[in-house]
Amino acid sequence: MAHIPQVLPSSIPIPSFVVKTYSYVWYYLYAILMKIPGGPYVISYVRKSHQDDPYRTAVEIILILYGIGYYLSKPQQKTGLQGTKPNLTEQEVELLIEDWQPESIVDESAMELQRWRLEKMPVLEMGENENRVTVTRNEGSERYTDVLNLASNNFLQLAGTPEVVEIVKKTIRNYGVGACGPAGFYGNQDVHYNFQYALAEFFGTEDAVLYGQDFCVASSVLPAFTKRGDLIVADDQVSISSQNALQLSRSTVYYFEHNNMESLEALLQELTEMEKKERLPAISRKFIVTEGLFHNSGDIPPLPVLTHLKNKYKFRLFVDETFSLGVLGASGRGLAEHFNMERASSIDVTIGSMATALGSSGAFVLGDHVMSHHQQIGSNAYCFSASLPAYTTTAATQVLKIMDRDNSAVTRLHQLSQQLHDFFNSDSQLSDFITVTSHERSPVLHIQLTPELRSSKFNYTAQELFETVSHLQKRCVTTKFVEPYEQEEQFLQSIVDTLLSQHGILITRNTIVLRQETLPVVPSLKVCINSNIEDSELTTACNAIKASILHYCSH
Amino acid sequence: MSTPANDGRVPLIEPEDLPVEVKRENEYGSLGSRDYLYQVKSLKDEPIQRPIIDTPPYYISLITYLNYLILMILGHVHDFLGMTFQKDRHLDVLERDGFAPWYSKFESFFARRMKKRIDDCFSRPTAGVPGRFIHCIDRISHNLNEYFTYPGSTSMCLNLSSYNYLGFAQSEGQCTDAALASVDNYGVQSGGPRTQIGSTDLHVEAEKLVASFVGKDDAMIFSMGYGTNANFFNAFLDSSCLVVSDELNHTSIRTGVRLSGTAVRTFKHNDMAGLEKLLREQIVLGQPKTRRPWKKILICVEGLYSMEGTVCNLPGIVALKKKYKCYLFVDEAHSIGAVGPNGRGVCDLFGVDPADVDILMGTLTKSFGAAGGYIAAQQWIMDRLRLDLTTANYSESIAAPVLAQIISSLKTITGELKPGEGKERLQRIAFNSRYLRLGLQRLGFIVYGSPDSPVIPMLLYCPSKMPAFSRMMLQRKIAVVVVAYPATPLIESRVRFCVSAALTKDDLDYLLRHVSEVGDKLYLKLSSGRASPPEDGNPPRWDIEDVIARTAEDCKDNKYFVI
Repeated sequence: MAHIPQVLPSSIPIPSFVVKTYSYVWYYLYAILMKIPGGPYVISYVRKSHQDDPYRTAVEIILILYGIGYYLSKPQQKTGLQGTKPNLTEQEVELLIEDWQPESIVDESAMELQRWRLEKMPVLEMGENENRVTVTRNEGSERYTDVLNLASNNFLQLAGTPEVVEIVKKTIRNYGVGACGPAGFYGNQDVHYNFQYALAEFFGTEDAVLYGQDFCVASSVLPAFTKRGDLIVADDQVSISSQNALQLSRSTVYYFEHNNMESLEALLQELTEMEKKERLPAISRKFIVTEGLFHNSGDIPPLPVLTHLKNKYKFRLFVDETFSLGVLGASGRGLAEHFNMERASSIDVTIGSMATALGSSGAFVLGDHVMSHHQQIGSNAYCFSASLPAYTTTAATQVLKIMDRDNSAVTRLHQLSQQLHDFFNSDSQLSDFITVTSHERSPVLHIQLTPELRSSKFNYTAQELFETVSHLQKRCVTTKFVEPYEQEEQFLQSIVDTLLSQHGILITRNTIVLRQETLPVVPSLKVCINSNIEDSELTTACNAIKASILHYCSH
Repeated sequence: MSTPANDGRVPLIEPEDLPVEVKRENEYGSLGSRDYLYQVKSLKDEPIQRPIIDTPPYYISLITYLNYLILMILGHVHDFLGMTFQKDRHLDVLERDGFAPWYSKFESFFARRMKKRIDDCFSRPTAGVPGRFIHCIDRISHNLNEYFTYPGSTSMCLNLSSYNYLGFAQSEGQCTDAALASVDNYGVQSGGPRTQIGSTDLHVEAEKLVASFVGKDDAMIFSMGYGTNANFFNAFLDSSCLVVSDELNHTSIRTGVRLSGTAVRTFKHNDMAGLEKLLREQIVLGQPKTRRPWKKILICVEGLYSMEGTVCNLPGIVALKKKYKCYLFVDEAHSIGAVGPNGRGVCDLFGVDPADVDILMGTLTKSFGAAGGYIAAQQWIMDRLRLDLTTANYSESIAAPVLAQIISSLKTITGELKPGEGKERLQRIAFNSRYLRLGLQRLGFIVYGSPDSPVIPMLLYCPSKMPAFSRMMLQRKIAVVVVAYPATPLIESRVRFCVSAALTKDDLDYLLRHVSEVGDKLYLKLSSGRASPPEDGNPPRWDIEDVIARTAEDCKDNKYFVI
């Protein structure tokens, strides 16, 4: 056996038959390889590589064989129906399929108890005056004429002025109505671009991006920038559009106490320390999410402190200003102006709506060039949706022009908001039953029942409601019906009804979809004013509202 | 008023002062001959074939991959050099003052280094009505599309890009009159959420009309099509429900389903056998981990797939849905108005009873020349949804001028307004779609989709042919949309022709001549003839004159198409 390697390590005891088999294998392999053209090269390569260690070659050959075997073997069947796991016969499968009974597509069990919500929905009839309207309800069976509209979000009512109407008509005559395409494919027209320039100029940012609807902007913009591992710190009373954004963001979300800056700072401090310990290879994106004028409570966050904290801890500030743009600040430039700050240096991402104070429809995002540019590539609601009708942009451009040259509508609105809040805040009779949560500059007055009244009348607390709802959501219970909450809603609705039928005043409940809320929320009433309301109308309305509330709450 | 050329801003274009007849003709071309009409027939008893997908020769796929490879290598070299020597020009992807960049270098690579090279083919600003012609605002690209300047002029291009299927994008006529009247009567503001203050009698009227048009009890209209889907599914689904979704469903559906937390399983595009297997498996296996049965299973499909031009196999899906007690959601974003003998969408096309589809969703942006979306279902379903939909309770409502446009265009289609006009529009788009499709097939291009689809994707393959095609077409005054990865599979870059009833046969001939010429130059005639019924066994490479002479008659015959 000439080719048996000379040096066999004697330190490892090996049964002689292994040595023998191996020697034979090697011998014949060698013989075959020598005959194949190119074989000698392989032999010399193997010799060099095994460096006088035949065992190493053996291990390598076994590994190669195992690799080939593994590659050729059939992959493990996934659990199919007749596969390995459940191993069911055809008949059993048929039976299981036959047995399966799905739930009905929507839950109808509580519908009869909640039908009043549909019946109480107001429908406005055609009319020129936005403040004096004709309202019908329940498919026309109730009809009220000359009703004072205290429910509209059109706070400044500038879109109804003749100059805006004229521009709108001119636009429709030149552009038609629809834009018939998404922004990326010929959908953005010159008026869209110019409205973006006007927005950026008016609010003092580098750029602006238009969206089709206010509600889905936050949930499209935030996820366009965040991914797994990013950090979001959010106010624990943000409205549902921001809640959706947080859910879609894939990031780690922490909440701080509503408008409580100590709570926020403590949280930021803790997060920063945590991050230092983790020693990540790159900095993660970090956001603070809050609202300019809170959707559910109408109060205002302390922007100077927020800006200070976000700069200190290197967070970016994301503010949903759906209700505050056009309302806050001396000229309606929003939260930043309210605190006499520059928007560009204090807020990184601003969400604005054209459907509130600007009196048109659609929405927009304000921010710097880089952020705006990336939205146009990465934000779903921008990329996959048709552009706004041209007239909405020219209407809003004109409204901005009016606001720029004359802030009397905003001033008037502030004056009326002050008057409204003064009335309700100073009233000692009312304070036993209701709390006003909104800021005095908010054109929407938010009225909640006091916690005491709630627990005595309906026997539950906000916290209990939150826990019940979370429990229902976690357990995926189909019927999400909470009786005491429903009773309170109905109670508030009876106040709305009385005001409508007896006083000719239309206010509204803050309509909440309880099953969707992931943060604590309580029922409330909203009184919305606009700058075209007369002082006397407001006084009469305030007294009527007070009387109705007292009437229902005091017994 | 035109702003000076060099500030990099899109100028406002002052509308031209044209006589009404010229303007009307530019928005909606008048019909050349009654021969150029085609009445779509219901496919009620026709067997549905799965469309055959034609593939290009292997070397084309290879070149396409090579093309991407070169672009990627160049991109990385560009990135390396740029981020080493020109830090100030890459501030967007580098960390700054302790802030993470807005987006990561890796994720944005495709957008920065590949899409940006052809940015001049996207987001072309336009002016005026996107009707038969579209006014593209001229722009000059600088520094590889780093920024654009605008000389202030426009080019009037033939419009194959807008979703203006029935040609309702017009600035005069009954729809515009209705919109103008609504501005006076209702104003332009939206007031607030539907459940609070946003409902007017106009909303009620429009919803009733939409409901009866699609064949349901009740409907709801929202101000944005994407938003309709994106905030729809969480109203009635949760994580113990299952959504079975076609792999090519639109992002809005995916976002909506993700928001609801529902489990999702996808099946291959229009693959009925795959769908059935999946349904059987899921009903038996139930929820992963807990093994409890699913509470409900919802099948989500689109009526007409906007990137493929294929129509869903509705009869097949309805049969499966009934057999396995699932629910069915059909998104008719592109098909409503544009498809079917009466324009009532895929149910109409296949002769399926709308009652067999649980939820019909659609958009009003496309065929109706308006904006927004709708959801239609039985009364008891809609009642519940009105209470549970977040969009209805928190979002702005749709504004009056848009509603007026919807109402008037719907009434035109049904024949209530201007009897005969709606019918003609439907017959024109059907003819135009078939004519263009068969014409392209005969010239030798690979096109995807169903014969009655107004969306006609034509395959380009190489990413570099995309900008070339788009630019050459723009030079020839034709506006087209090119799409590539990630909207399509990596190698299947394509151009998408959106046919409109506003186009005349002469327009389509003009288009065919130029596409044929450009197709020769760019080597795009690659069809093997497999996907169209064979004529003589050879790949079709007709001469353009023959195509124009013979296609108008032939395109009305189903034997030239795969149904």
